[in-house]
Amino acid sequence: MTHHAPTNIPTNGPGELVVRGAHVLDPSSGLDGVMDVRVLEGRIAEVGKDLKGTRTLEADGLHLFPGFVDVHAHWRTPGREDEETIETGSAAAAAGGFTSVVMMPNTDPVIDRPVVVSGLVRRIERESRVRAYVSAALHEGLKGERLTEMRLMREAGAFCVSDDGLGTQSAGVLRNAMLYAKDAGMPVILHCEDHTLATGVVHDGVAAALAGLPGSPGSAEDVATATALVLAAETGAKVHVTHVSTALSAALVGFFKGSVSGVDVTADTTPHHLTLTDDLVRTLEGMYRVNPPLRPEADKLSVGEALRDGILDFVATDHAPHASEEKDLPLEEAAPGFLGHETAFSALYTEMVLGGGLSLERLVGAMASAPGRWVDDGARRLESGASADLALVDLSEEWTVRAEGLLSRSGNSPYIGRTLKGRIVATMVGGELVQDRTGARFGLRA
Amino acid sequence: MRAKDLLTLEGASRADLREVLDLARDYASGTLDRPLLGKTVCLSFFEASTRTAVSFELAARRAGADVISLSEKGSSIQKGEGLVDTIVTLDSLGADAIVLRHPAAGAARIAALHTDAAVINAGDGRGQHPTQALLDLHALSGRFGGFEELEGRKVAVVGDVLHSRVARSIIPAFQAAGMQLAIVAPSTLLPLEAGAWGLPVLPSVDDAIDWGADVLYALRLQKERMTGGSPRVPSVGEYARYYGVARRHLEDGAVVMHPGPVNRGVEVAGDVVLDPSSLIADQVGSGVAVRSAVLALATGVARSRVAA
Ligand SMILES: [Zn+2]
Repeated sequence: MTHHAPTNIPTNGPGELVVRGAHVLDPSSGLDGVMDVRVLEGRIAEVGKDLKGTRTLEADGLHLFPGFVDVHAHWRTPGREDEETIETGSAAAAAGGFTSVVMMPNTDPVIDRPVVVSGLVRRIERESRVRAYVSAALHEGLKGERLTEMRLMREAGAFCVSDDGLGTQSAGVLRNAMLYAKDAGMPVILHCEDHTLATGVVHDGVAAALAGLPGSPGSAEDVATATALVLAAETGAKVHVTHVSTALSAALVGFFKGSVSGVDVTADTTPHHLTLTDDLVRTLEGMYRVNPPLRPEADKLSVGEALRDGILDFVATDHAPHASEEKDLPLEEAAPGFLGHETAFSALYTEMVLGGGLSLERLVGAMASAPGRWVDDGARRLESGASADLALVDLSEEWTVRAEGLLSRSGNSPYIGRTLKGRIVATMVGGELVQDRTGARFGLRA
Repeated sequence: MRAKDLLTLEGASRADLREVLDLARDYASGTLDRPLLGKTVCLSFFEASTRTAVSFELAARRAGADVISLSEKGSSIQKGEGLVDTIVTLDSLGADAIVLRHPAAGAARIAALHTDAAVINAGDGRGQHPTQALLDLHALSGRFGGFEELEGRKVAVVGDVLHSRVARSIIPAFQAAGMQLAIVAPSTLLPLEAGAWGLPVLPSVDDAIDWGADVLYALRLQKERMTGGSPRVPSVGEYARYYGVARRHLEDGAVVMHPGPVNRGVEVAGDVVLDPSSLIADQVGSGVAVRSAVLALATGVARSRVAA
């Protein structure tokens, strides 16, 4: 069987490099301590003490993690390259420590035909700095009516299928789509949203009531999550529930994982649902519209606990760039979505790790190991022989998020103006530095 | 004496099949001396099917029977008469055999409870289509040199098993004939319990060839499986790529079958339908003799040697 990892990343990287003295932390290989990592020809050659190489990167005081994996990103290509391109989206990903990204299919045109998939794969090979995987549409035009040519799209290079952005309103269509995706050998990423309930623009809570905004209840997500989980159990399809944002949806995931046989289900939540609440919609600013909407504090805490406990497997950013003319609007008229790549680690480290809600080890597991297993079936670990996909991080660096400092082509980050702690220093994909702020700080010694 | 119905091929024995096929072979070779003379055969088709109706009518007439057809427009069936009422009426008219086509599985079984005439199931919903499987075996015996030569042959049943009465008849019948079976279909065209028949399920016709299929039995795909509230197949292109029988599949001697009518370029490539390795024409050609034999055995004019 062909594999669908992008082929543009050279495995013959730039010779040899030793990253010296970083605190290496990788929950999947069990490493946790100061050591050196020698990279040779794109792979990790050795992990140990006092390693030598033709080039060294002095990393005292920094942390070295396996590269982060984001299974949910909108790079707006094809169709809205004014908001993001593969070049800028992958640069933003690299700036956030991400070495692999799954691109969602709700573009223009929708990624719903083999020829569109192969066209996108070719562009990724030319333009992406990181490994980019194509998620094709689960149904034609994401209309929820006809199945897509999943087997032909897989042959064209698609990695998975998804209904992201719109969800699947008919349980009957969703069930057939799951069965068909299972035959095609592709996992299904589901955006769980019932349109008969999701009639508002923000969470139907106290903030919406006071602000006078139309609300969508938590049930809009929970009903669809329950449907998806029931069908996943019945069909045996490999299903990933993305952007879980409510306490009840997280509990449903936990119930199905723990008590229902035959389920092959994983789930993620987003940095913004873990760190922000619907209080922000009191500003009435278009910036804070997102789907699923920001939830109340209780949901935020429950979702965080579910991530901590592994009920939610990992974090995905739902990186969703929007042009300023789509965000600089009254909330009801704004496009939903936030940038995610460049702030994900810093926001979660600041709010959750320093806030005491999550260990650093679990955060790395949730951003690297667990989503890495999901895309690569366990291939990516920080150990000799593995591809050198790494993130070098300074946990002590404080930085203030500013739109002009972001590499994304858009500026719609909900963290603009906030000071966060912890920042990516360098990102390596297949031994190649795709994000490199080391020059300014340490210098690379040849 | 109660007539011998033909309702299903589930549970049919090798001897049952052999008897029909032997008689059909005799009839096909010309020793058909109007055995059904004086018998009345009623065709009651609650569902349109020109091909099967014509085949049964010809089979009955060649064997000398009087034929009443309730399939035409303006008949009581077209006016919405119920199954049981129709059967009771035909019984009162003195039918010796009732050939029944109905959109619901089990219709033939219910009909048989309401008449002393022999009920021949000509297709009931997704249930059974026994004469199709018998004529298939007749065509296969002709191709492979006799019924005994079918033992051990491998048949891949390709396509919409979920909605197919043909599949539900050929699977037990071919197994009774000693053939080995596999299914080739997407999960969306199979029951949720795809293992119900205990057969391997293969992902493509290419895989069926690798499995060693001697026969590729393609089932008809209804176009509405791609649309509507329950889409099961994405496109003709993708279906044909994985589940369509193409010329390359026949290069090593496999033969292709189809119960008809064929969607050319969907289940079977257009250039393969009338290829020498296609048994499709033989299947149609086997219909009349096999159905004459079925009617003769059912009405008792040909004495069955197989214990009921
Ligand atoms: Zn999304």
